[in-house]
Parts: sequence; C-alpha cells; structure tokens
Amino acid sequence: MARVCLIWVERPGLEGLDPAEVAKRAGLSLDPGGAIPAAVVTAPEWAAPPAVRSRLAGKPAQWLDLAGEVGGGPAEKRLARAAAAVARAAGRAALGTLPQVYTAQPAQTVLVAGAGLAAVAAARQAGLLGHPVILATPFGRAAQAGADDEAEEVSLLAAQLPAQVEVLAEAELRHLSGAAGDFTAELQTPQGAQLKRFGAVVLAPAGGYAPPELGLDPELAKPVADLPPEGLAGSPDKWLQAAVIAGVDAPATADAFARAVEAALALQARDFVQTTLLFSEARVASEGGERRYREARQAGVIAARVAAGGLEVAQGGRLLKWRDLLLDEEVQLRPDLLAVAGPVAAALPAFLANPVLWPAWPQLVPEGPRFSGGRTARSGLYIIGALRGTAPGRARRVEAAAAAADLHDRLTQGRATPVPSVRNTACASCLTCVRVCAHGVPRYGSDAIVCAPAACVACGMCAAECPAEAIAPPGWSNPELIAGLEAGLAKSAGTKAVLFACGQSGAQAFAELCRQGHEWPEGLLLYPVPCAGRVGMQLIMKALSSGAAGIMVAGCHDGNCRSVSGNLRARLRAGETAALLERLGLGPERVEFLHLASNQPRRLAQAVDRFVSTLG
Amino acid sequence: MTIISTPVLILGGGVAGVSAALELARRGVPSVLAEKGPRLGGRVRDFCCKATQACVHCGACRLGDLLAEAAARPEAAFRSLALAAEAQREGGVWQVELRPQPDEGEADPLAQPLAEKTTVNAQAVILAVGYEPFDPRRKTRFGYGRVPGVMTALELEAMLGQGVLVGHDGQPPESVAFIQCVGSRDESLGNLYCSRVCCGFALDMAGLIKEGWPETAVTFFHMDVQGYGPSWEEALPHMRQAIDFVRAMPGEVSAGENGPRVCFAGPDGQPRSREFGLVALSQGLTPPASAGALSEMFGLNRNQDGFLGEDAALAVSGAQGVFVAGTAQGPRGIVESIDHAALAAGAAMESLFRAGKEAAHG
Ligand SMILES: Cc1cc2nc3c(=O)[nH]c(=O)nc-3n(C[C@H](O)[C@H](O)[C@H](O)COP(=O)(O)OP(=O)(O)OC[C@H]3O[C@@H](n4cnc5c(N)ncnc54)[C@H](O)[C@@H]3O)c2cc1C
Ligand code: SF4
Ligand code: SF4
Ligand code: SF4
Ligand code: SF4
Repeated sequence: MARVCLIWVERPGLEGLDPAEVAKRAGLSLDPGGAIPAAVVTAPEWAAPPAVRSRLAGKPAQWLDLAGEVGGGPAEKRLARAAAAVARAAGRAALGTLPQVYTAQPAQTVLVAGAGLAAVAAARQAGLLGHPVILATPFGRAAQAGADDEAEEVSLLAAQLPAQVEVLAEAELRHLSGAAGDFTAELQTPQGAQLKRFGAVVLAPAGGYAPPELGLDPELAKPVADLPPEGLAGSPDKWLQAAVIAGVDAPATADAFARAVEAALALQARDFVQTTLLFSEARVASEGGERRYREARQAGVIAARVAAGGLEVAQGGRLLKWRDLLLDEEVQLRPDLLAVAGPVAAALPAFLANPVLWPAWPQLVPEGPRFSGGRTARSGLYIIGALRGTAPGRARRVEAAAAAADLHDRLTQGRATPVPSVRNTACASCLTCVRVCAHGVPRYGSDAIVCAPAACVACGMCAAECPAEAIAPPGWSNPELIAGLEAGLAKSAGTKAVLFACGQSGAQAFAELCRQGHEWPEGLLLYPVPCAGRVGMQLIMKALSSGAAGIMVAGCHDGNCRSVSGNLRARLRAGETAALLERLGLGPERVEFLHLASNQPRRLAQAVDRFVSTLG
Repeated sequence: MTIISTPVLILGGGVAGVSAALELARRGVPSVLAEKGPRLGGRVRDFCCKATQACVHCGACRLGDLLAEAAARPEAAFRSLALAAEAQREGGVWQVELRPQPDEGEADPLAQPLAEKTTVNAQAVILAVGYEPFDPRRKTRFGYGRVPGVMTALELEAMLGQGVLVGHDGQPPESVAFIQCVGSRDESLGNLYCSRVCCGFALDMAGLIKEGWPETAVTFFHMDVQGYGPSWEEALPHMRQAIDFVRAMPGEVSAGENGPRVCFAGPDGQPRSREFGLVALSQGLTPPASAGALSEMFGLNRNQDGFLGEDAALAVSGAQGVFVAGTAQGPRGIVESIDHAALAAGAAMESLFRAGKEAAHG
C-alpha cells in the first residue's frame, strides 16, 4: 500500500482545526514537501493552489472538500469528523490509480437529422464550434421550414451555414446506435445507403400540423397558418362567421394559442367578418401573448370560453354548440370558416421503436429539469424542436444553441468524461451493465464489453449492479469504495453510521449544512457518491460488516435523477437489504433511503438526526 | 484601480448569469461574471423544493448543479459585490467600471469579492440582471402590509422552505387562498403580459401544503391556468380535485374576524366573500430595477413591457456586443432562464468570431 500524505490547504470552514492533529488521528503523515507517493488534499481541485495541483499531476490524489464535510460543533467533535473524512479519502488514495483501459478517440463529426429552424440552427452552431456537420434533411434543400417555423428565419439561417456543414438532401436516418463519441448511423439517400460514425447526433425532424380529433370536416377546418384566404370578405347583408378553435378538448399550448389569436385578428380585420375564438383556457404565456389577446378582443373578436371537452361538433363543424360559462346558457354557431390551431408534432423516427437498442420515450427523454436544452438520457443524443414539443421560434434556437455547446463540450473533453474500465477477464458477459446504463455507454462488441468514449457520467450504476465486479467508472470501483469505507469507519467514534450522499442532491445539501456550521452526530461518516445508484447491496452490507450500525442513502427525488433511475435503484436495493436484515433478525431500520434535493438541507439534517437517534 | 481583460463580461449572478458563464465555458470561451450581491444564485437561492411524492420539475435544485459545474470550470471567474457603474465602447471593446459594494458578511465559496474599483475590458457583455418581483403594495386593494395574514408568494415560499405554515394568528391556517396575476395581466398597471411561472409555482406550493397539512383547504383565484409542461397538464385534473379553483379575480382583501376576507364575484356575477387563514399573492415578474440605468449605459433598447433587449429572436440588443439572458429579457422560469443563456452565449461567441475575422482582415 502506498504511503499517503495529507496536504493541508486552508479554506473557510477549516478554522481551528490543527492539521498535524488531523493527520495524526487519520493515521497519515503531514506533507513533508518534495515528492510524495499519494495524497489527500483538504480542498477540491479547483480551489487548491496551482503549485499543489502541478505537484500532484498523475499521482493518486483525493481532493476533499473538507470544509463541506466537517461542519460545526465543539472542537473535539470537529477534529474527529475531519479525521474520519481524511481517513476515508486516504483509504481510496492508498490503492493508487487504476490505468485507463479504453482509449478510443471520440468521433468529432456531428449528425443533424431533420429540417426546419431547430435543425438548421443546431447545424450552424455545431459548425461554428468547429465540428464537421452532416445535415441530413428529408427535403431537397436545407432552407425548408417546418409547419410552425418562420420560413424567412429558416432561409436566413440556412444561407449562413458555415463551410463545415455538409447538406445531405433527401436523406433519411434509418438506423442509429451508440452513444457520445461513437454513434453509428445508417443514412439512406437517393445515391444509396451509407454507414457512418458520428460523435453526436441531433434529431430535429420538422413539425407538421396534427389536427385535433374533434370530428371536423377537413374541407371546412383549416390549420390557422393557411388562413385567411385571399380576398375573403363578407357583405353588409351577409356577415361571414369565422371560428378559431384554440384548445377546446384540452387547453392549447401557449404558442398554439398565440397562433390562434393571430389568425383571429387577421380574420377579424377583413370586412364584415365576425370571428369567434373558442378555447378552454386563454394560454397567454407566450411573449406578447397577453397583449395580442387583448388586442383581439378590442378588435371585436368574441372570446368564447368552453369547458374542456364541452364543445359539441355537428355536421363536421358546420354547427358548433357549447355552454357559455359567463352567461350560463347554450350557444350555437354556424361558422362559414373554421380555423384550428392544432398542435404541431413530428413523427417519431422508426428506429427508436427498436426496444433492444432504444429505451421507451419517457426513459429516453425524461421530463425532469436536468434534461433541458435538448439533452436526452442517451449521452450525445439531442432531441430538439417539434419532436420534443418545443415552441417555435426562439425556444428552438435556444435548444439548438444549448445542444451544440453541450455536444462540443462532451466531444472535446471540456468536461472530463470518464471511460469506465472493464476487466474483460472477469466479465461474465451477462449484459447487466448494458441494460442498467441509462446513458448508453457500454455495449457488447464482437466479444467483449466496449464503452463509448465520451458518454459516461460516472454514475457508477453499472458498478453497483455488475455481478462480477468487472466494470466501474474510474475511482468508483468496489475495492476503492470499500477501502474508503473501512478506513473511514475505523477512525469514526461513537455510534457509527454511514451516509451515502448523491453528488446531485445529498452531498450538496450536506456541504451547505456544514457551511452553516451544522453539528452532525458524532459517528456519522459521509460518503459522497456520484449518484445514489452507485450504492448497491454489496456496499451496504460491507458498511455494516465494517462496523456501521446504520446506513442511510440520500438520493434525488423520484423523477429527478440525472441517470434516470439511479435513485429508484438505490431505493430498491436499500429496501431489499432492509428486508434481508429483518430476516436475519438484525433490524430492518438500519438501512434507509431518503429522497432529497440539493436545496433541502434542513430535511437532510432532520432525517439524519432521527435516523442516528434510532440506532441508539 | 485594477484592470482586467476578458472576452465576455457577464452582469448578474442568478441562474441565467451563472449558466451564461457555463455555456461560454462549454464553448471554450473564458468569462468574468460580476454579481452585485454577496452570493451567486439570485432569487432561486431562496426557493424551496416543491417535490411531494415525486419531483414536480420546478427547477430550483438546478442551481446546485450549476454551482457544482461552475466550481469545476476554470474558464469562468466569479466576482461578488461588484456593481457596474459606467460603461463605454471603444474600438470594439467595452470598458465597464465595477464598483465594490458594502460587504454583508455572507461570502460565497465560489466568488471572490471585488476589493476595489475595477475596469473590465470585454469584447462582449451579457446582461443577466434578473427581474424584480412585483411589489404588491402597489395593489392596495389586496391588503398587503395592512391586513394580517396576507403575504407574498415569495414569503410563503420561504416559510414552506423552513417546513412552517402559519397564518394570520400565528397558527397553522385552516384555509389558504392564492390570488394569481398580482401585478401581471393588469391593464391598470400597464403590465400587459403574463408572468409565465406563477400559475406553476402557486399550484406547486399548494401541493406542498396539501401534503404537509392535508386538513388545510386551498383555494386558487385565477383568470386562466397557464401550462407548465406535459406532466403538469396531466396532473392538473388531480389538482382540481384537491384544490378549489375559482375563476375570479378578487376585488378586495380586508381584515375579517377569522383572517383576511376575500371579496370576489361568483359564477353568477353576484358578490361573495370568504375568510381564509392565509392569503398568498402570486406576484408577477417585473423588469429588473437596473433596467433603466443599464439600457442607458449600454445603449440598449427595452421592449414594450420594459424588459431588456428588443430583438426577440436573437437575444441580441440594438447595441453592439451586448446580449441579454434570463428574466432580464422577459418573464421565464428557472430552467428556461438557464437554457436561454445558451442563446446569449452562442451569440456572444459569434460576435467574438466576427470581431476576430475583422481584425485579421485589417
Ligand atoms: C414568487 C416567485 C416564485 C417563483 N417560482 C418559480 C418556480 O417554482 N419555478 C421556476 O421555474 N421559476 C420560478 N420563478 C421564476 C424564477 O425566480 C426566475 O426564473 C429565475 O430566478 C430567473 O433567474 P435570473 O438569473 O434571470 O434572475 P435572478 O434570479 O433575479 O438573478 C439576477 C441576479 O443579478 C443580480 N443583479 C441585478 N442587477 C445587477 C446589476 N446591475 N449588476 C450586477 N448584478 C445584478 C442580482 O443580485 C441577482 O443575483 C419564481 C418567481 C417568483 C417571483
Ligand atoms: S455487468 Fe459486469 S459481468 Fe455483466 S456484462 Fe457488464 S461488465 Fe460484464
Ligand atoms: S458509470 Fe453510469 S454512465 Fe458510466 S457506464 Fe456505468 S452506468 Fe453508464
Ligand atoms: S426540480 Fe424542484 S421539485 Fe424537483 S427536486 Fe428539484 S427542487 Fe424539488
Ligand atoms: S402565470 Fe398564471 S398567475 Fe402568472 S400572470 Fe400568467 S396567468 Fe397570471
């Protein structure tokens, strides 16, 4: 085992702690200067002085946000907590670094498959960032707009495509597999099919109107974009009745409502035309939406609020009946003209229906706040525009810009993308990791597991579930975690408990409480993990057998996991372990899972206090 | 007097500002961010998590992700207690003078407080100065500051964040009313826009109340319910069962015997009144306090509603090399503000490219 030194970097929150005493208690030597085999540093890497960083380059080093782990309370208790945290980190540092196994370079070419504003904006942004881009459009030209795009805006952007963007016309993306740095796509063009390797893929099919199922005659009911027809006008004797439907079965989206209001205003501006706008909720949240809605009413458009699902459609729409909520009476309308602000939708690419290669839509495109800016669960795959349900105009440019920056960052290693190491000699080829990884990183190559080079987020779920301890992201293998657990628990005092805290929630809340000077129970050992999903049954059992009286796992709330299901998996494993303990007569209350967000430090403090107090 | 040079200067360290710094870093562009307050995070720092059985996607915890990522990005430098006082553009470079603000003793681990007057030379500037919550004192009829038990949504949010719910008499209220569109969609104020987020946050808070204090009755006075994402639309019918949705804007809130009394028109048009233990005013988003000063400083247009930057499509303002991100440009939610910064960052990067090309061609 390598000798580990403690390098003390003074930071706010470490006041009053004696470095020599911490080192002594943790069983390390304080930095003697010069060359050292391995180190624990009391600051995160970014906060450490450059001299320390360069000295440790390539060395096994554990960067510890010690201030975020110690907290407040009496000096003696802080010292004990600091020593346990340092010992835990030293346990891991002592194992040295594991060499990277897979070193394939990520492909740099970006595929943008689709058309319209979102596609052109994404291709342009990715090109500006220096990537070769293939814009594969089903149309004959790049400037083709989707049903709800401003044609002019799309042409303008298409004319400004950088030289790196190659437009592949009349192309269809037939198949796609892989993840960031290593996608394989089959593109069908009039010249034939081609297989190509891409670093990242942006799916941005153009949208088309999807008329609502109201039983409307398509001869009468037109999408709002097609209205009003040239030269439309009534006469003083015969006013024309126009109706615009903007979400009557269910409320419209704000942008569909805005389009309906625009159509109503345009119709109302014609001579002798009376327009009625039918809706269940006035969705005025688009930019300028409220203003235009008011203008429409001031222009004489009748705003008719219909209870959701309360519009009766007869004769294909030639007779409309509803109950007016304000007057509380039945109203009838025989429109001469009917416009519908149907939602705009894009068809799901057929290859996504392959359940072996692709997860179902809700797992691929989770709605959680972490999957914004076009991101999907599959690293390096971005789904933007109409297919995602994104409002036209600026929201699509926003998505395109965010997606381009994110893929650039991934492919150029701006964000340190780890590559999990696989011990092929131990691997049982059970494909558990392939199933478990939400980001699509491991796949089965010809005779071994291979990992996409720029896709892993180091959640550690594969390591938690692999039955053969054959795969783990760097730094998060079982031996490393267990060495830390044993060393940390050995130096903890009092009733020993371990808090495995997810880096997206629990660990942040813990650090915040420490900054506020919160005093933690004496024997509590914090173990930050990249995702709660890293905590499988082995780790919990190991912590128990190493002397912990209880284990709490703090992960994200249901529906907010960066890796889609790490929190649920951890909760499941904690539950299973508790059930096992119960069967063994050891007390199921020793293992608990806590749902948490990073901004809920108080909830964490209360849960930990309660949990530790029940351990006795 | 210190002078720093950076490709991009960002004013405002809320979620939009921090996200702009990250968006630039992802593109390999360094930046300096100047926040006038002591800490990063802006308004979101005071928001609570509104998850009940599951996350409701309010976005507040994304601040934690942003700050964690910011810590690992050497390209972005953060300065706190720094207020822009003057700006001028010369030879394609903005010279912005930052003045140190009084220290409130609440240091941010990520940001370095500005020690002295500093001039920042930057080719591009991103304004991410956020919004001002509507001050409900301007709507005297809602009784804020006058009637016990009437509070702002922000105050309720802070209270719920502490796990507390008390009404007019210091006790947990039997009933809570939310009044929507306070300061938004209001002709008398000239605020002819919807604030986008308040239907969402109010009903999320209502959910939190229903979970923690199931006996408490919740009433929701509103004009329309705005959408807040697909799963939100799915959840609305369930909310309608747990919460009393009243489509009416109350006329007045006065002190009643058992808490604030809300007068409103019933569905038949007849006046009604009800007393609640607590009334929360869902205040809207109004333009940032510094909108006027900044629009002058940077020669920047304001839109019809008073927010910064007129060109809706590009987040590019009239002036050269100035871009707007987040709620400074118009009302939007947390995640939307975070993403919106991508557009400003992309446009800023393009302007750097253009300037680089022009310089190369002499
Ligand atoms: C009651 C209420 C509840 C809300 N709840 C939600 C919710 O649940 N979900 C949701 O998505 N959204 C919600 N929002 C909206 C949310 O607050 C905003 O989307 C978000 O805060 C916008 O971030 P920002 O960075 O644009 O602005 P801000 O958070 O306002 O940050 C602006 C920052 O700029 C700084 N600043 C200002 N002027 C200057 C200057 N001149 N120089 C330097 N720095 C300056 C400020 O100090 C501040 O730190 C809510 C809003 C309100 C009013
Ligand atoms: S889970 Fe482990 S044993 Fe199974 S295929 Fe993956 S690496 Fe091999
Ligand atoms: S650590 Fe997570 S992201 Fe990386 S390969 Fe394993 S499961 Fe996938
Ligand atoms: S998004 Fe909101 S509700 Fe969901 S976990 Fe984060 S703070 Fe809680
Ligand atoms: S979001 Fe709701 S409460 Fe807020 S202004 Fe719009 S309609 Fe009113």
